[in-house]
Amino acid sequence: MPGRLALALSRIAIIVAIFMLWEVLSRTGLVNPRLLPSASDTLATLADLLKRASVRNDLAVTATEVLAAFVLAVPFGCLLGYLIAEYRYFAEVMKPLLFFAFSIPKSIFLPMFILVFGVGFAEKVGFGFFSTIFIVIMSTTTAVESVKMEYLTVARSYGATRTQTALRVYLPGMLPVLLEALRISMIFNLTGVILAEMYASRDGIGHQIATWGENFQMKQLLAGVVMIAVVAMAFNELVRWVETRCSHWRT
Amino acid sequence: MGGNAMQPLANVTPLKRAGSIQIQNVGQVFRTSGAEVVALSDVSLDIKPGHFVVLVGPSGCGKSTLLMMLAGLRQQTSGTVLINAAPIPAPDPNRVGVVFQEASLFPWLTAEENVEFPLALRGVAKSERRAKAEEMLKLVGLEGFGRRHPHELSGGMKQRVSIARGLVQDPPVLLMDEPFAALDEQTRMTMGDELLRIWAATGKTVVFVTHSLTEAVYLADEVAVMSARPGRIVDLLQVQLPRPRTYEMLSGDAFGSLRDRIWRHIRKSA
Repeated sequence: MPGRLALALSRIAIIVAIFMLWEVLSRTGLVNPRLLPSASDTLATLADLLKRASVRNDLAVTATEVLAAFVLAVPFGCLLGYLIAEYRYFAEVMKPLLFFAFSIPKSIFLPMFILVFGVGFAEKVGFGFFSTIFIVIMSTTTAVESVKMEYLTVARSYGATRTQTALRVYLPGMLPVLLEALRISMIFNLTGVILAEMYASRDGIGHQIATWGENFQMKQLLAGVVMIAVVAMAFNELVRWVETRCSHWRT
Repeated sequence: MGGNAMQPLANVTPLKRAGSIQIQNVGQVFRTSGAEVVALSDVSLDIKPGHFVVLVGPSGCGKSTLLMMLAGLRQQTSGTVLINAAPIPAPDPNRVGVVFQEASLFPWLTAEENVEFPLALRGVAKSERRAKAEEMLKLVGLEGFGRRHPHELSGGMKQRVSIARGLVQDPPVLLMDEPFAALDEQTRMTMGDELLRIWAATGKTVVFVTHSLTEAVYLADEVAVMSARPGRIVDLLQVQLPRPRTYEMLSGDAFGSLRDRIWRHIRKSA
């Protein structure tokens, strides 16, 4: 069994290797540097971009939209998912319909969001919400079903009310699965908002990336990619860290 | 009865015979996709306060179903179930505590929080809850283990916590649904002795469901033997062995003949 340190070092080594390969391919001209600027150039551009007020503003706009969509979609989706799982009749009716809805690529509805909300904050948050809600509902349903029957019987035999069962048994019992759902939802949410920004928007980091792409500013484009990748991974790791803390009640 | 917290409630109860159970002509019929299954047929049993009664029988004889009725978790199709001379249409933790099979503790709560759970549902103040939980953990021999989570406890310890949780509201009746089934033989014997000690200390009426004939005779004042299809009581044995029960009794003639008598019933219905 390799130690944790050895594992971490191996991972870091792989990341370093990828950046080095990237650097070498670009520097030697094996890949056209106009298409693939070197890693060092990209990182320098990233540092440069982060100093710019306009870029910081774009990041703030995107962060606000992502957060707003997330804060709306998660509680709403959890509540719906819980109700669907708790009330059998409702579940029978809704579940297939949700699966239908989930299978449709959400991006094809983006033009409708633009027509209804216009280009701006509401449209992007709305589309982010729409991209996220289905996965939240479906994961919550799974999370509710992951709570053991025994726990519910115990709660019932000690006279728990419906609300008490929801808050004291379902919620903690669901937490491990729910956190995983939260992580995955954020990926959908981020994708939704950034797609909306790239498609039609006046601000936001997605809009910037699209513009850089159209203008063939590869260094900025790649710097933007790295920026978003780091933010997404940081969120993911944060939730995963919380997940491991309650992993012992996952059976 | 142990514990001072429930004293006022005990005074409210008009009946002196707290902890009595009457099961009268109880029947239970399940309907599954058109077919009718008779789970219990004409079951009657009178349990005196403070007695230790074991329900034993083959799988599908309805012993767990009967226990769930006593817990108010399930309603009979016919007949009457009375606890403290009153029916039990819904779970009533003031009259009945339940100890389930293994793994019924909430893994996200510590041992003491698990024991406090029934009190927390009733909005009992934190300090009072904690004191009561400590008292109960001490009773079941787990003093000092309150801060541990279930995954840090052995199987036997977990069931001790379950018993503490069942007793925390000081109900006159304790129902136990195969509580030691998942434990290894040695732990099972120890837990049997522990349970008898706790029972003697608290004076509860205990109804205990098991598959094990030895466990049944070792623990009980009375053993109700059940048979399947339809589930009914085919024999009621008085276990006259002196208390405290000891390991040596297991090899005695009296013990053996009681166990044989149960076995003959079960073999017949199997």
